[in-house]
Amino acid sequence: MPDALILLSSIALPFLGAIVAGLLPTHARNAAAWLAGAIALSMLAFVWAAYPTVADGGVVRHAIPWMPALGLDFSLRMDGFAWLFAGLVSGVGALVVLYARYYMSAEDPVPRFFAFLLAFMGAMTGVVLSGNLVQLAFFWELTSLFSFLLIGYWHHTAAAREGARMALTVTATGGLCLFAGVLVLGHIVGSYDLDVVLASGERIRSHALYLPALILILLGALTKSAQFPFHFWLPQAMAAPTPVSAYLHSATLVKAGVFLMARLWPVMAGTEAWFWIVGTAGVATLLLGAYVAIFQLDLKGLLAYSTISHLGLITLLLGLNSELAMVAAIFHILNHATFKASLFMAVGIIDHETGTRDIRRLSGLNRSMPFTARLALVAAAAMAGVPLLNGFLSKEMFFAEALSAQTSQLFLLQILPLAATAASAFSVAYSLRFIHGAFFGPDPTDLPRTPHEPPAWMRFPVEILVLACIIVGILPAATVGPFLDMAAHAALGAATPDYSLAVWHGFSLPLLMSFIALTAGVALYIGLQKQLRSAPDGPPMLRSFDGRRMFERAMVFLSWRLARTLERLLGTRRLQPQLRLLVCVAILAGAIAVQVRGLGPGNVMPSGIDPVLALVWVGGAACAFGAAWLAKFHRLAALILLGGTGLVTCVTFVWFSAPDLALTQLLVEVVTTILLLLGLRWLPKRIDNPATRQAEVVTLTRRLRDLTIAISAGAGMAGLAYGVMTRSPPELLAQHFLARAYTEGGGTNVVNVILVDFRGFDTLGEITVLAAVALVAYALLRRFRPAPDSVEIPEQQRDQSAYDEARPDRSEGDTVADWLLVPSVLTRLLFPVIILVAAYLLLRGHDQPGGGFVAGLTASIAIILQYMIGGTHWVEDRLRVPPLRWMGVGLLLAAGTGLAAWFFGRPFMTSYFSYLGLPLLGEVPTASALVFDIGVFALVVGATVLILIALAHQSVRGQRAVPRSSEGRAAATRVAGDD
Amino acid sequence: MSGWADHLTIAPIIIPLLAGAAMILLGDRRRPINALLGVASVLAQLALAIALLMAADQEQALGTATVRVYRLGDWPALFGIVLVLDRLSALMLVLTALLGLAALVFSLARWHRAGAYFHPLFQFQLMGLNGAFLTGDLFNLFVFFEVMLAASYGMAMHGSGIARVRAGLHYLAINLATSLLFLIGVSMIYGIAGTLNMAELAGRVAPLAGEDRALLEAGAAILGVAFLIKAGMWPLGFWLPTTYAAAGAAPAAIISILSKVGVYAVLRLWLLLFGEGAGVSAGFGGNWLLLGGLLTIAFGSVAVLATQNTARLAGANVLVSSGTLLAAIGSGQVGVTGGALLYLASSVLAIGAFFLLVELVERGREVGADVLAVTREAFGGEEDDPYDDEVGVAIPASTAILGLSFLTCALLLAGLPPLSSFLAKFAMLAPLFAPGGSTSPGSWALLAALMLSGLATIVSMTRAGIEVFWTTPATVLPRVRVIEIAPVVLLLGLCVALTAGAGPAMRYMEATSQMLHAPRDYVRGVIGPAAAGSGTGAAL
Repeated sequence: MPDALILLSSIALPFLGAIVAGLLPTHARNAAAWLAGAIALSMLAFVWAAYPTVADGGVVRHAIPWMPALGLDFSLRMDGFAWLFAGLVSGVGALVVLYARYYMSAEDPVPRFFAFLLAFMGAMTGVVLSGNLVQLAFFWELTSLFSFLLIGYWHHTAAAREGARMALTVTATGGLCLFAGVLVLGHIVGSYDLDVVLASGERIRSHALYLPALILILLGALTKSAQFPFHFWLPQAMAAPTPVSAYLHSATLVKAGVFLMARLWPVMAGTEAWFWIVGTAGVATLLLGAYVAIFQLDLKGLLAYSTISHLGLITLLLGLNSELAMVAAIFHILNHATFKASLFMAVGIIDHETGTRDIRRLSGLNRSMPFTARLALVAAAAMAGVPLLNGFLSKEMFFAEALSAQTSQLFLLQILPLAATAASAFSVAYSLRFIHGAFFGPDPTDLPRTPHEPPAWMRFPVEILVLACIIVGILPAATVGPFLDMAAHAALGAATPDYSLAVWHGFSLPLLMSFIALTAGVALYIGLQKQLRSAPDGPPMLRSFDGRRMFERAMVFLSWRLARTLERLLGTRRLQPQLRLLVCVAILAGAIAVQVRGLGPGNVMPSGIDPVLALVWVGGAACAFGAAWLAKFHRLAALILLGGTGLVTCVTFVWFSAPDLALTQLLVEVVTTILLLLGLRWLPKRIDNPATRQAEVVTLTRRLRDLTIAISAGAGMAGLAYGVMTRSPPELLAQHFLARAYTEGGGTNVVNVILVDFRGFDTLGEITVLAAVALVAYALLRRFRPAPDSVEIPEQQRDQSAYDEARPDRSEGDTVADWLLVPSVLTRLLFPVIILVAAYLLLRGHDQPGGGFVAGLTASIAIILQYMIGGTHWVEDRLRVPPLRWMGVGLLLAAGTGLAAWFFGRPFMTSYFSYLGLPLLGEVPTASALVFDIGVFALVVGATVLILIALAHQSVRGQRAVPRSSEGRAAATRVAGDD
Repeated sequence: MSGWADHLTIAPIIIPLLAGAAMILLGDRRRPINALLGVASVLAQLALAIALLMAADQEQALGTATVRVYRLGDWPALFGIVLVLDRLSALMLVLTALLGLAALVFSLARWHRAGAYFHPLFQFQLMGLNGAFLTGDLFNLFVFFEVMLAASYGMAMHGSGIARVRAGLHYLAINLATSLLFLIGVSMIYGIAGTLNMAELAGRVAPLAGEDRALLEAGAAILGVAFLIKAGMWPLGFWLPTTYAAAGAAPAAIISILSKVGVYAVLRLWLLLFGEGAGVSAGFGGNWLLLGGLLTIAFGSVAVLATQNTARLAGANVLVSSGTLLAAIGSGQVGVTGGALLYLASSVLAIGAFFLLVELVERGREVGADVLAVTREAFGGEEDDPYDDEVGVAIPASTAILGLSFLTCALLLAGLPPLSSFLAKFAMLAPLFAPGGSTSPGSWALLAALMLSGLATIVSMTRAGIEVFWTTPATVLPRVRVIEIAPVVLLLGLCVALTAGAGPAMRYMEATSQMLHAPRDYVRGVIGPAAAGSGTGAAL
């Protein structure tokens, strides 16, 4: 069979299966199980098909380019070691699927379960078959993800949610560290390809970055394999359905960590750092796990801690820096997978048939489920390391390694065998407790269900696994021997040591240790009987040392207290500090940039100061200061002063011969000031709350600080402006404009030619801005409800109404009408005049100061005046300016002028001008830009009027909220309509 | 410049402009026609953007002009306005159109009725974005920023409500201040260099005299501040999560790309003005970008962790994403920029999708549920008996799709495998840890920042996801319409496609990055071969 087919099928099949399973109907229990089983078995078949190649020491490879730019291929690689794991994943997978079919309740939405399980199977296969390390990290995180989903399968229980979250947080963190470590390792080696990495052991170990890389990668491996101090997530993960525990949390997922350490063992092990980190973690986990397991009340909890302990054993073996220990580690990975998976399944059967896993409630099940009891007994014996079972063999090898460990620290040589024996004794004790507690003793009372044997097919996977334990235990060399040999050779290469797989090695120290451990374990269990019967969950002394609680507290601290404090300290949600920061950062940016290079004089000499202009400017500056000073306390005055500053700007433009700018500035000032004044009415009154007033000093300091910032910003800006204005670059855009405005643009008003022709596209954009702003203002004000304190009718209006009401000969509103009589006559007379001026400004724009924008503003001033004096209703009864139509037409006209050029084969906005002979007027210079300008004009009128209407109708609506408003409005209309 | 095909370059600006103008004329009442017109316009923009992307990519292969230049008004590039289409602009156009399509279709379910003039404003929003990505003129960039911002004020406040208007007005005030800085920067650069054309500017930085250089750099720094405010760099981006979280779902999705416009502007102008050819000024401010980016990632991660509200979580993620991009760009390496572009693409799509998704999953949830989640975490949940209820709860299909989308978003935002942002993170980090080279402290800091921000995101997203999908009783069915979930699925599907097609995608990004770092082709494309040789430095 071709390599590509074997490898790609092994990876792709489970993922495809997951998708199909996910699409099955909710209760398609059998279909989902058949699908998953078929996929697991065909994976096994594909893996088996690769056996001939890998058995000869060959490697099956296949790579597909993925990100060739970064040298990253999707590469799959199967050697003997990976083969063993792939076989484990698919083989145990198939058994678990069968088991799960019977374990999961008929009401459970199992297709989802099988979908996740299959996806996990694919991810795990991806980890073991990855041919490069980045891809390995990639699948590594995927296993965490699917483990999260599987643990959280029963997510309606809090335990499942918590367990899933904890598992994901811990393992995903480890995965990120692994990814970082892989990057560093890739930096050291120069490639992420596994073959290259495995060939660069010397380079890796001698590199300066060896230690960071090692620590990062080990963080990944140790979290995944639930090693101390990251072990706490595994017991919580027991909230998962038991098939998941059997599969992920004994046979596969947790083995990914030790797999990785074994994979990189040839290139990363052999150093003191490796020994200390891996060895220490291993010993600690071995002892702690075994000790805690004794005191668990939940059978799954007991198995979880036992798993932690056995993983610690494997880790310790890997940490010993000896090839023989490495072989033992691989062997124990296999053995542990078989006996622990079968034990989990047995617990699942107990749980399934009795309804509880609580060791205190269970007893004497030997009588009601004798066959299951025998199976569990054998598996537990293998776990305890009883001779003639597979667990014994690898434990013997472990003892031998513990005795012969090579290290510079001599005291360790005395501690290691002791620790090994003690842990082994613990494991005997918890195995005894498991078997004795559940299966022996008096008949159980008060169980949720009446226990009986499970369906035969549910027990079948357990039988297979237990059979494996026995056969391997009795005939190791004939059964597992070749596979182990193949895996060891693939992992270690030429350094593979000689070892013998035999049950009997003669009387030796390891055998004595086994004997001591067995005896001590039994003694310990008997000695602890009394305490175990009454003790609460968890081990003595360490009960308060609860990893889960600590983790949760840490998470709450990090993600809640600390993060919120930091967010408050480093950030703000208030506007003023944000604006202050903005100004400060801008000042600093400018200042630092200037500071670095230093500033010299410019090439343009400044002219002398004209006293008149200086005086005007003093006035303008005073207005600006006044506006800033009064902005908070007296908005009206501030606004008027702001207008003063605007006027001074306007005068300055005139002074320096910029009539266009002056005209525009003047009109903009007028329109914006009026619109602002109209809006002022609706601002809330000043909030003056004496209770929250700060101390005088604080206020003063704050003001001083703000003054400093303001002065720096202003002075900085003035300095920069001076710097720029005293320089003239050799080539300036403006020169082109001056030279070509008439010859190529057809207009003598350069500013206008720039606006409608050279940079007409900018103008098109700006009128779109105006349109958008008008729409936004309208949309915002349409829903706007003024603050309660500004709804009230103003005092002046109240007085006038009261005066009118008090006299029988007057009706309400007469006083206003009288007052406004002269202005209203004047504005109505002026209306056509202003419109005419607007038209004039529009038409002459191309050659003289003027243009569409200015004309539009002028026309809107005419309309604004009518609104102000006549009132909304009066104007709208007589003059209908549909602002949206004006805006739409204006935009289309402007854009259409640009588009017209397309029909002449020219780019957008190409202008055309010539002289047109008109009756009466004679030769008239005409440019396409005029049409564009008319569009601008229409849009400006429309947009301004739309904003005006939005504000004006606010008054109409606002008064509606006040009682007696209808009369008021009628009066207002009458006032306006008196003439 | 006469064939109709040439006009395609400007069409992404003209189409939404005409559509918007027509919608104004049609009036707000005729929503169905407006909607139809809007969708047609966005689809046209998408088709156009894809065509332009393919054109931009192809021309390089043939060795002909690498950039399409459109001279407005037929004026010479020297003083007229030019539009320039290169790989980067084309990429941004495609992203904008995709996000626009998703947001618009989503809005048709209900959001477009939430306030006045949604449709024309939406078109102007797209016009501003497209224009900003296409223009090759500094002042014209300002104009399109304004178009974009003016429309975004409407977007941010669309649907009104106290929180929205308050956040929107803050947003408005800050952006007005930003525009002021933008103008100051542009006018200083113009005053010193004498041109507004970006390509022309690139050649004028190197020969500047020392005392002039200070002013130009000061102008550029102030201009940079304006862009960084838009990008949301710490400490200038506090407005961002608040505004985005307060905005409605569809508007938030489209304005979420505005932060990337800031990043785009930095990427474009910084590399053009202060690239290798800038003489003494080369790399000006790069360390600040890196530092600012790192600080932004840090603050963004803190905000991600601290948030109790899913919408705000999305806003905080925008900060993380901006920080990542700024830091990556600031490191100033061709390879890293390539990875950053891939990250940009997948983060635009993912964040857009997440903003849409947040509204869907939040529907029908009790108010204050998010606060409860944190309290429950702090004080331990209700202890239910783990032995009971070991029967799973069937999940309805709509919830399943929402859940899957949420999961995909979480993976994308956290940059975890197997999706495109993981690959992008790898692509950013791999060149920093390239074999043989030396690793700088900046590289280590970026590595740590990316890992930690990913962790913060996953912690926070898990909390939110568990709370939303696993804790809420399955009896409460979110009412989700197909046109609401389809856009989310589209955007996330594109990220999946980016993952599978990482090879071609990365090749495009690498080519883009090389062009950005060696802008000779860009300059030559805009102002002709004569000017390209002078001062724009070594190019590959």
